[in-house]
Amino acid sequence: MIEIYLYGKLRRFARDQDPTGYSVVHSIVQAGDSIQGVLKRLGIPMEEVGRNIFLNRQYSALTRRVKDGDRLAVFPDNMQLLYSWYFVKVGEDHEVKKDKS
Amino acid sequence: MSKILRVNMTDLTARYQDVPVKYKLMGARWLTSSMVSDEVEPTCHPLGPTNKLVFAPGIVTGTAAPTSARISVGSKSPLTGTIKESNAGTKFSPMLAKLGIKAVVVEGQPKEGMWYLLEVTKDGARLLPATDLAGKGAYATTNALIKRYGKVGVCCIGLAGEMKMAMAGVCFNDLSDRASRYSGRGGLGAVMGTKGLKAMVVDNKDGPGVSIANQELFGQGCKKLTEALQTHAITKPKGALNTYGTAVLINILNEAGGLPTRNFASGTFEGAPKIAGEAIFEGNKQRLGKELYNHACSPGCIIQCSNTWHNPDGSEQVSCQEYESVWAFGANCGIDDLDVTAELIRISNDLGVDTIESGGTIAVAMEGGLAKFGDGQKAIELMQEIGKGTPLGRILGQGAAFTGRALGLVRVPGVKGQNMPAYSPRAVKGIGVTYMTSTQGADHTIGYTIAPEILSVGGKADPLSPEGKAELSRNFQIATAFLDSTGYCVFIAFAILDIPKGFEGMVQSCAAVLGTNWTADDVTRIGKEILRKERAFNEAAGFTRADDRPPEFMRYEALPPHNKLWDIPNKALDSVWDF
Ligand code: SF4
Repeated sequence: MIEIYLYGKLRRFARDQDPTGYSVVHSIVQAGDSIQGVLKRLGIPMEEVGRNIFLNRQYSALTRRVKDGDRLAVFPDNMQLLYSWYFVKVGEDHEVKKDKS
Repeated sequence: MSKILRVNMTDLTARYQDVPVKYKLMGARWLTSSMVSDEVEPTCHPLGPTNKLVFAPGIVTGTAAPTSARISVGSKSPLTGTIKESNAGTKFSPMLAKLGIKAVVVEGQPKEGMWYLLEVTKDGARLLPATDLAGKGAYATTNALIKRYGKVGVCCIGLAGEMKMAMAGVCFNDLSDRASRYSGRGGLGAVMGTKGLKAMVVDNKDGPGVSIANQELFGQGCKKLTEALQTHAITKPKGALNTYGTAVLINILNEAGGLPTRNFASGTFEGAPKIAGEAIFEGNKQRLGKELYNHACSPGCIIQCSNTWHNPDGSEQVSCQEYESVWAFGANCGIDDLDVTAELIRISNDLGVDTIESGGTIAVAMEGGLAKFGDGQKAIELMQEIGKGTPLGRILGQGAAFTGRALGLVRVPGVKGQNMPAYSPRAVKGIGVTYMTSTQGADHTIGYTIAPEILSVGGKADPLSPEGKAELSRNFQIATAFLDSTGYCVFIAFAILDIPKGFEGMVQSCAAVLGTNWTADDVTRIGKEILRKERAFNEAAGFTRADDRPPEFMRYEALPPHNKLWDIPNKALDSVWDF
């Protein structure tokens, strides 16, 4: 099971949509799942997903693998205000290379 | 013809001077830091008669360039003892620029207890007694001046500046004449207080305007920049900044584990969603019965990130609940109530103090047992104490470092005496490097800008390594020093970071105004020149690399949730200055 915290317009995919609280959905993790895989399965349109994605509080690439017990937070494209140049995205190059091989 | 206005507070004269050749191309931070370096003795007492206060609009301020109405204020800082530049967006700045004024230099000192108002119009400048304004808060001062003069740019100090407190800022009016835009950091309001200058008004009616050397290039540059700002998800109309304001970062930094909470004891705050940008948008919607998008703080801003917060009856409570202010009084004090943060911001605006330093000071006071974390009522009382000028208020008014010392505390999160803003260095190490090594104490806006791939600053170090972090920070500080000199708001960085044409347009617009052929290389060259000047001033004032260090507790207290220490070696910090 993985916990997914949704913000902004993506809160509509959770039961509790109060913008002043936490909107959380749970999902089963499948073998080889990536962040993107989980989000697609929930029916979240990828064009609404911004670059401010955090897996276990680490700024992460969509291709990063997830596992049981992870905490994922996703902000929509109109909220990606992170000063991203100070953060190193986890899982990007590494995963891309792996996917290609 | 542009000119420099010299205001001598000793003999109470105001006179114009031609712009010396060496200053011709400069604006904003480039000019304030150059003039402070040239004219202020680095070892002077910041509150003494030989310190100076310099105001300068940016290179493109006063033209049609979008989002460019910033003003820089420079001096030797009473808070840090370093050189200081702090900028704000306000109608005051383009009004000065349109009168052909490149800088206002305030020097000397009048008799103790005398207060003056500087009036600037196309016909000249004069000092008038301001006994009637002395003792008034920034709101009342600004309102009185608007009532008296009408459509003018206003600059003033509140009671904190009059009491020469090290957290005092310089206040400017916004587009709707609210006393809400601050050159907040570094205690520049106290310097204005020592000059006996309570306020300035500027009226650009029938002024000559800003001349543009190459109209065609200017048009092209502005077009590219405007397109970038209008298409980028963060800066476009109804984009992130316009809808939620900068406070959308509360939830984001909380998810990143980098939101300093309860005086930097944790990187997450359970109450974050209650004080984030979404909560502000929702709160206003409920209280006003309609969606409210943000507004421009100053003329010509097309990003429009500035917000208002409304009372339950719909009336306006304060502008503005922006990220740093909401964080400083919210998460950092353990407070999760937007009505409380709004009141604390309102008190700060009226007293004329920096919200980052004030929030940091209240958090330190809480750490020292003067209030419990989360106690909003007590936080309000402590802020009111500052305005009363009681012994406790005088201590708090000197900022977090001074308060921490008074209370015998070790966990005081500052660098060079300036409290850290809303990014925790143990979680976000790159910004930590910038806090430690900046020429101005812990500051987030000083290394905030264009990616190295866009700027030709070179460098290939791995950003995960300490060396890589130092290199990134150096490049950001160089680029920001330039951007702070243009008059553009630093928030254009979001768009020009991602859209190279926008960056090109920004450089072209500056070159077009000045009649130069600047490229990205000049951005780097000028940025370095500014940093070297500022660093040289600090060295002459007695600062060494030993001052470019974190507060020690960050080396041995791990920060949850990442449970990380500050582990960047000192030599990596020192290497920021290897250029
Ligand atoms: S982006 Fe925000 S802070 Fe910058 S000039 Fe516009 S309204 Fe002011």
